[in-house]
Amino acid sequence: MLKLSDHWRSATTRLIFIYGAFFVLWSIVLVAVVYWETNRYLSRVVDEIVEQRVRYLISIDRERLPEAMEATGALDLRGVMSLGLFGSDGRYIDGNIEHVPADLPVDGAIHPLPQGVERRGREERKSARGIAKRLGNGELLVLARDTSVIDQVGVIIRHALLWGLSLTVIPGLIGGLLLSRRPLRRVRAIEAAIEPIAHGDLRRRLPVSGRGDEVDLLAAIVNRMLGEIERLMGEVKGVCDNIAHDLRTPLTRLRAQLHRLQQTGGGEEGVGPMLERCIVDVDALLERFRALLRISELEDLRRRGGFASVDLGETLRQVHELYAPLAEDNAIAFRLESALQTNIQADPHLLFEAFSNLIANAIKFSPHGGKVCVRASMEASGPRVDILDSGPGIPSGERDAVLKRFYRSESGREPAAQGYGLGLSIVAAILRLHGFRMRIDDNETGGTRVSVHCWVEAMPSPHFMR
Amino acid sequence: MARLLTIEDDAVTAREIVAELKSRGNDVDWVDNGHEGLSRAVEGGYDAITLDRMLPGLDGLAVITALRRAGVQTPVLMISALSDVDERVRGLRAGGDDYLTKPFAPDEMAARVEVLLRRQRAAERETVLRVGDLELDLIERRARRGAMNLELLPIEFRLLEFLVRNSGQVLTRTMIFEAVWGYHFDPGTNVIDVHIGRLRKKVDPPGLAPLIRTVRGSGYRLAETE
Repeated sequence: MLKLSDHWRSATTRLIFIYGAFFVLWSIVLVAVVYWETNRYLSRVVDEIVEQRVRYLISIDRERLPEAMEATGALDLRGVMSLGLFGSDGRYIDGNIEHVPADLPVDGAIHPLPQGVERRGREERKSARGIAKRLGNGELLVLARDTSVIDQVGVIIRHALLWGLSLTVIPGLIGGLLLSRRPLRRVRAIEAAIEPIAHGDLRRRLPVSGRGDEVDLLAAIVNRMLGEIERLMGEVKGVCDNIAHDLRTPLTRLRAQLHRLQQTGGGEEGVGPMLERCIVDVDALLERFRALLRISELEDLRRRGGFASVDLGETLRQVHELYAPLAEDNAIAFRLESALQTNIQADPHLLFEAFSNLIANAIKFSPHGGKVCVRASMEASGPRVDILDSGPGIPSGERDAVLKRFYRSESGREPAAQGYGLGLSIVAAILRLHGFRMRIDDNETGGTRVSVHCWVEAMPSPHFMR
Repeated sequence: MARLLTIEDDAVTAREIVAELKSRGNDVDWVDNGHEGLSRAVEGGYDAITLDRMLPGLDGLAVITALRRAGVQTPVLMISALSDVDERVRGLRAGGDDYLTKPFAPDEMAARVEVLLRRQRAAERETVLRVGDLELDLIERRARRGAMNLELLPIEFRLLEFLVRNSGQVLTRTMIFEAVWGYHFDPGTNVIDVHIGRLRKKVDPPGLAPLIRTVRGSGYRLAETE
């Protein structure tokens, strides 16, 4: 499930928010320009009407002025025109304005009157534009026209802006959030696909949707890189395998010839034991190559075909049975502490091989008279098997290295001890195939403890944002 | 003397197989392709067959499948360069009686063929196995050496049973491990040696003629005194 905070952080969402903010800003600027232009245009229209009227009223004879003013009032059906005639001392003579507006300069130019004019027979005052002009005889003519239309247009434009924004920005943001889910889902898909690759399965590739977008481009680049890495790894592994394989055939022939020599008697004195030693050495070599190829085979083995329900307790019991005599011969107390009644999904042969190797190692590295204990227990996530020995232990710095091919610890283990560290590599390869985990640490009583967690690790879901 | 058929396309390997089997007194025929091998095998008269898994034309799996479908039950040792567990399972499932991976030691190959021949001869159900004065009661799961009862652990009994069933044959450690434990990997040579050593202490107490012998460089053999 995607969390809201994930949405919030995704690149798409961020882009949408930035884009939204710009969109709102530009809308406001645009509407402001429209509003301002409209305002200017309408003001000019009002001004022209007022100027025209004033010019007309001034041009006619003084005697006919009240009559003309009357006519102007009568023609003004919407009641937007106010006019007044005053004596040179400011006394009211005629018209529907009874006082000269205080904020109107007497200069014959048009001025805005935000407070409007006081008009006879009307209570409210509406904003207006007005003019005050002296007639030739010193009388004062005042004319004003309401501009509330302009204000109303402004209101309409503001409303249009609000509605427009809410109808585009809100669905836009919601849509954007929904859209941003898709790339997030694809990132999740890539994350899921990359998990097995990170665990060493280089045959996997990242999903490519085929849309050819940025995510696809990136996935294609990574896939090309993976292809190349896989090819190189394959070559290295191929070379190792070929060497091992090619050497095995002549070695096998060599062994056969030695064997035949031995059978035919060898002739001279002392040749027999020497032949015997040669055969033992060749056998050791062959064994090592076989182990090397086995690891390689296990690493290739990505099938789960051989998996079945396996009784882990029974497997451990069989391994114990196989190695108990060997332990006894070395005077090692070898105990199996298991009350497990659990079945796990595993390849029975490989599981047996893995535990055999671990126990063989534990016995091999425990001193004469030492102790080896196999302890199986049930944990919340699944069964766990601990193999404890009383050997010299593995220094913490070498614990990763011992899982690598051909590693043999320098400390405390005499080279005479058989086994060139391939055993643990085989175990590691088998456990990796199962998705199980192995940990090596110190045993409380000295020696090594190898813990095998027989459950498939839940995919660690590293929050890729973090 | 047994009549054996070797179906193997690689001349060097074939020479090795034929030489080893002949040196043990067998009569060996060699063919280098699947078609001829199949027709020869069907004609019959062979006691055992070694069959290469990868052959030109008709491959080993097809040969064994056709052979079993034709009702021929001659024991077959599959020999293959494919060591995969899957391959082994497929080979055995198709009707192979044993499976050996290349490269192999000729004596191991011959030992396996001899076990197959023995199995062929002793197909009838026996409930008591005897070698000299050693007696195994398969129903009671009891073993006796002369008048003495042997106290054997279950695993020791299974091991002894395998040795007795193939008495006189050389059995390699790998063969013993595969047959008695049923697993196909290398458990480390001395593990089997220790088990044999333990069994030997019980079966061959001092004073009695030893039955279990070590064959140097190869493995073990259980047999009456020569």
